[in-house]
Amino acid sequence: MEKKSARNTAIIIISALFTLFWLFPYLYVISCSFRKGSEVIAVPPSFFPKTFSVENFVDLFSRMNTGGYMLNSLVTAVVSTLIAVILGSMAAYAIQRSGYKISQFLVILILCLKMIPTSCITVPIYEIIVNIGLYDTRLALIIVYAAINMPFVMWTMLSFYEGIPSSLDEAAYVDGASSLQTFTRVILPIAAPGLATAFIFTLFLAWNDFLVALLLTSTNAKTFTVGLAGFLSAYSLDLGPMCAGAFLFSFPVMIISMFAQKFIIRGMTAGAVKG
Amino acid sequence: MRLISKKTLLLFFLPGAVFMGMFLIYPIIKMAVDSFCKVGITGSRTFIGLDNYIKAFSTGGMGLQLKNTIIYILVAVSIETVLGFIFALLFESNYKGSKIIRSLMMTPLMIAPLVAGLIWKLMLSSNFGIVNEILVRIGILKSTSDILWLADPRWSLFACCIADIWLTTPFMMLMILAGLQGLDSAVTEASRIDGANALQEIFYIKLPGIKPVLLTALSVRIIDAAKTFDIIWAMTQGGPNSSSETISIIIYKQLVKYNNTGYASAMAIIFIAVLVVFTLVFMQSLWNPKKKA
Repeated sequence: MEKKSARNTAIIIISALFTLFWLFPYLYVISCSFRKGSEVIAVPPSFFPKTFSVENFVDLFSRMNTGGYMLNSLVTAVVSTLIAVILGSMAAYAIQRSGYKISQFLVILILCLKMIPTSCITVPIYEIIVNIGLYDTRLALIIVYAAINMPFVMWTMLSFYEGIPSSLDEAAYVDGASSLQTFTRVILPIAAPGLATAFIFTLFLAWNDFLVALLLTSTNAKTFTVGLAGFLSAYSLDLGPMCAGAFLFSFPVMIISMFAQKFIIRGMTAGAVKG
Repeated sequence: MRLISKKTLLLFFLPGAVFMGMFLIYPIIKMAVDSFCKVGITGSRTFIGLDNYIKAFSTGGMGLQLKNTIIYILVAVSIETVLGFIFALLFESNYKGSKIIRSLMMTPLMIAPLVAGLIWKLMLSSNFGIVNEILVRIGILKSTSDILWLADPRWSLFACCIADIWLTTPFMMLMILAGLQGLDSAVTEASRIDGANALQEIFYIKLPGIKPVLLTALSVRIIDAAKTFDIIWAMTQGGPNSSSETISIIIYKQLVKYNNTGYASAMAIIFIAVLVVFTLVFMQSLWNPKKKA
């Protein structure tokens, strides 16, 4: 018994050390955000700040339209996610339940669409957006995010619907419900955890996007990631505000992902682990 | 009983399909057409047959980028898998506070790849980067300029791998952990009674048991690693001297910087085709036996 508890203590200590080691880069960025800008690029670098300062945050806000870019990121991420989740879950339901030959083909098509690298298709997308006159608008980002994240939503929802017995649909059908009623009143409430999973993931995908926003925006609809990358091209003097920006941008994500952990784990392991 | 008529299927599927058709399928069709053309700056197209494809496969084409992409995948994914497996074994046991440690470990998971790239660019900088400073202090390096992570062509690709490993090892850990928790505890207990030691238990019971999960996780990661753009763009932009240029980066550069639409389209079509074939072959081998069983 004693041997076992000693082993457990060892595991706890090793796990805690590993975790600390893994969090080190992020802790370092937080520590860099709250020191003077000159101290971020001081030689030799040190982990702990010598003086506490919010200079980097002040610089960040004065050098870039932080609030505006943040708002652009938020609005485009939330609205595009709503569209992708609503339309994606509907389409996935129809495919999963219909049983036509074509639906098998559609499942494979969606999986293939999910594999397409964004870096390959952004330029044709750019041309479409310019042609319909939506360049540098939030609307452009919203519809493009909704489109490129939809295969992901559909893929997640397909595996959720699979776990809901179709006898429920049949019962609703016998009771005289239309397909839309069956979907919204019977299936969606049961698939709510699936919807939550798809929503959180898609939200982060859109929030974290860089490439699409880089090509489709210039000033008005610029998102936070594109603004943040702007600190790269210039001089190392900008690294302080960059740390402050990186911290501001990812802090809400980390908090949300702590609370929504259940859904995130489910989303990642969906389809891989059959329960 | 058909629950959904063809009309309803269409009605439910169409709104989503319009979006995907416009921004996923149409761009691919357009690129497929462009890949056979020489596209002028004004947008004029002249048909040149397979020239773009021949160019991509000949010397000076995408050979170097293909090599870099493969190295990137091999290094990043294999280290992520090994570390993820070790972490999963550590976090598998339940003790007081294990949930807190587990969720702390998961926090990098959702950070933007761009931000991960920026963080590591700062940390790996040769003069004020903290990584080299630590390596000097613990005696691995003699001076902080011994390894120029981002400026030395020998190291730049590996520097990008480090950021990738940091960002996605928690994903691997999560997948493997889910696999381990799905194992029948009776089997591990039986092996213990039969006198198997911890290592034997890991290699003969646990590893074979999580094989399906592991394969799925690997395929997801291989495809994601192949597509990586943000991390590399933030850290090196493919440089110095194309030393960290992967296929995603070269396609983007050819399209945006050099305006070689035809050539870039050909490379993009090849790239997408390879990814799709990989996915389908993988799906076939992993899922079909299960369905038949």
